[in-house]
Amino acid sequence: MVAAIRTQQLSKRFGATVALQPLDLEVAAGEVVGYLGPNGAGKTTTIRCLLGLARASGGRAELFGVDAQRRPAEAHRRVAYVPGEANLWPGLTGTEALHLLGRVQGQVDERYRDELVERFRFDPSKRVRAYSKGNRQKVLLIAALSSRADLLILDEPTTGLDPLMEQEFREAVADARRRGQAVFLSSHILSEVEALSDRVAIIRAGELVEIGTLAEMRHLSALSVDATFDDVPPDLRRVPGVTAVEVTGNHVRCQVVGSVEPLLGVLAASGVHQLLSREPSLEELFIAHYGDGGPAGAGDGDGHGDGAGAS
Amino acid sequence: MRGTATVVAGRTARRALRSGVVWGLLFGGLAANEALSYTHNFPTLESRTELARTIGTNAGLAAVTGVGHRLDTIEGFVAWRVFGLLVIVGAIWGLLTATRLLRGEEDAGRWELLLAGRTTRRTATGQALVGLGAGFAALWAVTSIALVVAGTRSSVGFTLGASWFYATALVAGAAIFLAVGAVTSQLGTNRRHANGLGAAVLAGSLVVRAVADSADGLGWLRWLSPLGWVENLRPLTGSAPWALVPIAVLVGACVVATLALAERRDVGAGALARPQVPTSGTRLLDSPLGLVVRLERWVLVAWAVGLGALAAVFGVVARTAGTADIGNGSLNETVTRLGGQAGGSAAWLGYEFLYIAPLVAFAAAGQIAAMRHEEAGGHLDNLLARPVSRTQWAAGRLGFGVVLVAATGLACALGGWLGTIGGSNAIPLGRMLQAGANTAAPAVAVLGIGALLYGLVPRIATPVLYAVILWSFVVEVVGSSLTTNRWVLDSSLLSHLTPVPAAPLRWSAVAWLVGLGLLAAAAGVAALARRDVAGE
Ligand SMILES: Nc1ncnc2c1ncn2[C@@H]1O[C@H](COP(=O)(O)OP(=O)(O)OP(=O)(O)O)[C@@H](O)[C@H]1O
Ligand SMILES: [Mg+2]
Repeated sequence: MVAAIRTQQLSKRFGATVALQPLDLEVAAGEVVGYLGPNGAGKTTTIRCLLGLARASGGRAELFGVDAQRRPAEAHRRVAYVPGEANLWPGLTGTEALHLLGRVQGQVDERYRDELVERFRFDPSKRVRAYSKGNRQKVLLIAALSSRADLLILDEPTTGLDPLMEQEFREAVADARRRGQAVFLSSHILSEVEALSDRVAIIRAGELVEIGTLAEMRHLSALSVDATFDDVPPDLRRVPGVTAVEVTGNHVRCQVVGSVEPLLGVLAASGVHQLLSREPSLEELFIAHYGDGGPAGAGDGDGHGDGAGAS
Repeated sequence: MRGTATVVAGRTARRALRSGVVWGLLFGGLAANEALSYTHNFPTLESRTELARTIGTNAGLAAVTGVGHRLDTIEGFVAWRVFGLLVIVGAIWGLLTATRLLRGEEDAGRWELLLAGRTTRRTATGQALVGLGAGFAALWAVTSIALVVAGTRSSVGFTLGASWFYATALVAGAAIFLAVGAVTSQLGTNRRHANGLGAAVLAGSLVVRAVADSADGLGWLRWLSPLGWVENLRPLTGSAPWALVPIAVLVGACVVATLALAERRDVGAGALARPQVPTSGTRLLDSPLGLVVRLERWVLVAWAVGLGALAAVFGVVARTAGTADIGNGSLNETVTRLGGQAGGSAAWLGYEFLYIAPLVAFAAAGQIAAMRHEEAGGHLDNLLARPVSRTQWAAGRLGFGVVLVAATGLACALGGWLGTIGGSNAIPLGRMLQAGANTAAPAVAVLGIGALLYGLVPRIATPVLYAVILWSFVVEVVGSSLTTNRWVLDSSLLSHLTPVPAAPLRWSAVAWLVGLGLLAAAAGVAALARRDVAGE
């Protein structure tokens, strides 16, 4: 079966800035892929190139086998998109905007649209300029979901939604997945991606650093270790494979990538009296990936500093 | 970021200053040009008395341009010739500048950040008013300098004080409507609404002033109209500085009201909040083209009706002036230079339509600005992420632009024709339709050039396009008296046209302009398909 999304060496530069390094990515029909990365990593850039809104500097992007850079209108036939910022024509009402977007899309399940309007508790009678940010976002979500398109491309679609609506959104995506629609979901909300995705891709500074199922990533990537010591804990930051070290008094939490042997060696030699290990949450994976060596902005999730100061 | 204490004042002042200087050059230049060319246009005493006799007794003309005084002197002529028109242009400039910098900025969400900080709405508005004041000062200063310099020439010989007071009177309309625009920016629910309220005030003042000037014994009505106060200043011919008092009081009151209202209303809302129970109408909203019609139809109606009405007024002026056979040296000279026939209503109308052509071009440029606005605001993404090609969208937008231009040209033709009906030398409808086509053709070229600029350099397309129109207009009206360089003269989009109806339409020029427009538009659409769709 033809892939929903397929890129080959897709790249994008803005002048001297490389926003996206050559990217090879494939999303199968019916698959839900989460797309994670810190601010400025290149998620939106990837999506805009995928849709042909931005011209790629190199490589190809195909949606269901149609070249999205050369023939965007055709490539969009089976695709619905929700941008991160809901910029709609302020003079239209919610009803009018939904009608227009449905007509331009070319396909809309009206029953489902009405159901979504109910479920999102959306009042479509006001003008767009009078809606709050979250309500504007609902217009685009409802328009995209009700198209029942074979591929949903969502760029941080839940910014501005309250927790109840976020829940409705998750159910709608789960429903789309059951119906065999593919979803490409860029997000900062890790629990959302964890709950919905078959596979996760992580991008940093324009480069795809990790892609796989959560199980694979957990297995291959890192193990979360909690250790309590009798005395002042040793410095684990230099131990090979160890990242994201957090020290609180006599307690240390860290991630281990690859072999645990070096860490066990150090622990055994320094009077550890309690040891706990578990698979990392997506959040911890995410932090582990950004925590070290990334350029600007990469320090955001880094836990090193605080713990050391507190002890 | 700089401290927020003066950031609004700085932003507003920068933009207002730029605009004030440009318009000051235009105001000062046009008024100074009249003064400097007076002795050339009216060399003899007879020509001056004749002019005073005919114009001075023409009520229809006075309704449009204001009453002239001592028209047989250079002071009287210069004070009358461009004064009425420039005061109105100044008023429009003031209104649009105030709503743009006070309300447009706010609607675009640029104030929200500041107001979330320590700056209150009142201080932000106060600062924006200071910025607008700076812009007005620039307009005033540049206009004054131009007139004082022209006034010292021996052929003109105005005293310094007289020149300066004339400049002051010229920009008084701008001051009033900057202040009115500041108030309506607080009252309206968005910038467009604010503009509408201000335009209503302007139209009201204009009508009252026109009635006061057109009939004997109604002169007292002038005291009821802010534009009448400006006329009562009587620069050069009977300076009445005390007429500045009501103007100053009105401006002061508007400033106080603006600050008081700013404090009371919400960001992004108006003090006159309209009841928000819109009715949804989805009739047109089935395609990108339908959307353009839905978004821009009232813009089309406004341009067609507005310019059609202006053409009708011009028609009335041309009929009265043409019937009374009022000669005007510079008018006839311009008309003959451009290949038209001097004398009669046709010459007047041919001359006046030279001013309509750039206005139709502005209407066209507005459509290019709307395209860029739709893209920069992110609205366009919602279409282009769906099965809509850029070419399809752009073709719909530009096609609508052509319809707008054609409708406006037709309205001008009909307006001018209706205005001249009943005169002794009426102009045939066919000839007026040609005049309409003559104003529409350069606007089609502007649409095409605009599309090309938009495809290549979207961020600066709109200002460059307005500059092209302004350049074309200036070269057309004053160019040949400054230079004979063919390249300069040919660079004006307007210079290839004849002054229809004073001359037959030059079909070859129309074909050139339309062909240029189509070619440029095609290139522009191709360029658009090859670039990023980009926000601000
Ligand atoms: N139009 C542009 N011109 C120049 N640089 C740009 C442009 N758009 C994006 N960039 C740069 O490209 C990089 C990737 O930006 P992008 O918007 O794709 O990030 P993102 O992952 O979507 O971030 P966020 O999580 O904040 O939405 C950033 O460094 C950004 O500054
Ligand atoms: Mg983004």
